[in-house]
Amino acid sequence: MKRLFGFLAVLMVMSLVLGACGTPAAPATDAPVAEAPVTEKKTILNVWSFTNEILTMAVAFEKSHPNVDVVYTMIPMTNGEYQTKLLATLGTADVPDVVALEAAFVKSYVESDFLADIGDLQKYADELKMYPFVYEVGMADGVHKAYAYQATPGALFYRRSLAKEYFGTDDPVEIQELLGDFDKYIAAAEVIKEKSGGNTYMVSSNGDFQNLFFANREQPWVVDGKLTVDPMVEKMVETVKIFRDNGYEARATQWQEGWFAGMNDTLTDAAGNPKKIFSYFLPTWGLPYVLYPNSTSSDGASTTKGDWAVIEGPLPYQWGGTWLGVMKETKNMDLAKEFIRFCTLDEENLTNWATGVYTNEYLKAIDPTVPEDQYQAAGDFVGSQVVVEKITASFDESEMSAFLGGQNSYGGFAAAAPSVNARLMQGSDDAIQRALNDPLNSFLEGTITQDEMWTLWKDAVRNEFPDLVIE
Amino acid sequence: MLKLKHHQYGYLFVAPFIIGFLVFGLYPVVNTIVLSFTDRTLMSSSYSYIGLKNFQNLFADSTFTTAIKNTWQLWLMNFIPQMGIAFLLSIWFTNNRLKLRGVGVWRMIFYMPNLMMASAVAALFFSLFSFYGPVNQFLVRSGLLAEAIDFLRKPAIVRGLVVFIQWWMWFGQTTILLMAAMTAISPSLYEAAVVDGAGTIQMFLKITLPLIKPVLIYILVTSLVGGMQMFDIPYLLTDGRGSPGNSILTNTINMYMKFHSSKGHIGAASAVGLVVFVMTSVVALLIFFLLREKHDQSAEADR
Repeated sequence: MKRLFGFLAVLMVMSLVLGACGTPAAPATDAPVAEAPVTEKKTILNVWSFTNEILTMAVAFEKSHPNVDVVYTMIPMTNGEYQTKLLATLGTADVPDVVALEAAFVKSYVESDFLADIGDLQKYADELKMYPFVYEVGMADGVHKAYAYQATPGALFYRRSLAKEYFGTDDPVEIQELLGDFDKYIAAAEVIKEKSGGNTYMVSSNGDFQNLFFANREQPWVVDGKLTVDPMVEKMVETVKIFRDNGYEARATQWQEGWFAGMNDTLTDAAGNPKKIFSYFLPTWGLPYVLYPNSTSSDGASTTKGDWAVIEGPLPYQWGGTWLGVMKETKNMDLAKEFIRFCTLDEENLTNWATGVYTNEYLKAIDPTVPEDQYQAAGDFVGSQVVVEKITASFDESEMSAFLGGQNSYGGFAAAAPSVNARLMQGSDDAIQRALNDPLNSFLEGTITQDEMWTLWKDAVRNEFPDLVIE
Repeated sequence: MLKLKHHQYGYLFVAPFIIGFLVFGLYPVVNTIVLSFTDRTLMSSSYSYIGLKNFQNLFADSTFTTAIKNTWQLWLMNFIPQMGIAFLLSIWFTNNRLKLRGVGVWRMIFYMPNLMMASAVAALFFSLFSFYGPVNQFLVRSGLLAEAIDFLRKPAIVRGLVVFIQWWMWFGQTTILLMAAMTAISPSLYEAAVVDGAGTIQMFLKITLPLIKPVLIYILVTSLVGGMQMFDIPYLLTDGRGSPGNSILTNTINMYMKFHSSKGHIGAASAVGLVVFVMTSVVALLIFFLLREKHDQSAEADR
């Protein structure tokens, strides 16, 4: 009797322990097996990304590679979940074969030991005349580790009606002439302020144009392990101060309510006076994903559709982008490389991607389990000059071109792309630049001096990068 | 077959907890301690032991001391009023003479904020107090302010908001714990006290307080541990870096920043964690020591 009780007790404990360990893991391993009606054994390629964009290409890839099963995992990036998950998996057996890397952190992975050398794909990049900054971002010490399918040159969008009112013309060529460098941009901001009686701001937030100065530095942030401040950064601080002190900016915050309200002309100050924003600095993806969807107010009463135009702006820059790399530990190196070649360096795929061939019906025909909202609308700006030149004309009549008052959106970006330079990009850029935000704002508000601002910034950088030399 | 003596079955039953604790509790702590003596980053596979370098860096760094100071300030500023209000409410709610109606409803309403996600609460306050937000609109349009203020750029206001949110989210929880402790006290003690002519304040000091001391210690220590690890509200309310001017930079945000920098300095981050761990442990032990049951010893001395 006693022995039986003992045995039962052992069983109970065992089941508790096993039960506790078993449950969370179960759905992860069960799910793919259950849904795949496999007749022959397919090779599995694990791809991780932070949006569902690349899933479209993964499905298209399965069409030309029928014996491959791309297992696509999407982890959102809203609060850095993707980066955290990826960091936690590094060096374990759970690493995916192919990873998507966003502009803010692609460089730290490229500089690390975790990505494989995929330099044999460079010949395809040369063939398709990829914009240099697209593959330069994926390079560390001369080794190619990541490629991107899109190029994300930045541009300046402005309101045609306001341009006519204050400058007498809305012609992109003439406006580019007027805003061709930052001294001109500042002078134009003064004109707008005077003629509008302070009711139209040149720009919504000073965060909009800080990128431009960073993109045009001559030295990177870190030179030989030492924190370095390029004169361009000082120029940025100076310019931002001018914009704040003279009221050229609406003091909104990027990605917040006021910033979006300016896009559909519903911005009002706290007292209820309507305010207008003349221009927004946005890259290629900013047009379809940010400006276009926010150009009509939520009640539909106010819209700025058709009232926009795009120019290169005062300085060339690039913003964002998604790169693809192969993890060193992958067991399917050749297949992973082939996947990256297909996604980023394949003329047919890039053309299909940019011209709206990948509709939901198209994807459903390959894989019926694709969700309803999975498709790629026309208009993403791809990284290959060969493709861009071939397809630009096809956008003359597009929805985005109508949005820009008839101006070909693709053409605008094609003009801006070749002058972008990303050679200075480093893994630590994002953190170093974000560390400057708070001290810079305190300086703008006048609560600290500029010297104090630099000291605070250096303290913050030192806190995050213990091995950096900071003077 | 494994034979167990009768008195050994107990070990079997506690085994799941012990195993869980060793794997998910003790191992991470030990690992954190080991990591804090290395320069390990997540972005490279090689690392070396660097002795106390991480700790030297920390104490030489004003950001770290600011974070410690902030954490203490934010915790004390919300804990003291939280205890005050919780005491007042729980005394009212459990008072036999007042016999308040709808205690259950009030208790639920006060507990509600605790059920909301910290991210939702932070987002709510963020939108309310933003430059183009409703608080500015209300104040300017009603003439109380001449022009809009960027509330979330004012250190004192941002700190006040964090303290208020923490207080607002947690006083209901504390009230419920105190009420539970107070209702557990036998009414006959109070009846006897009334017969002996004790007043309300005397009864509170001589009966209620001593008898709820174990619960008080529990509240104090759990709140201390929670306060020292304050993260979500200050992280989400502004830029996730404790701005403006590091005014709401807490220990855990500081640790997270080190972990989350482009290289993922987990060695340096672990050092922050270890210092906070030691600090919290020392203070918690001090609380236990100061509030220990003293009359046992005096009873022995009397014997």
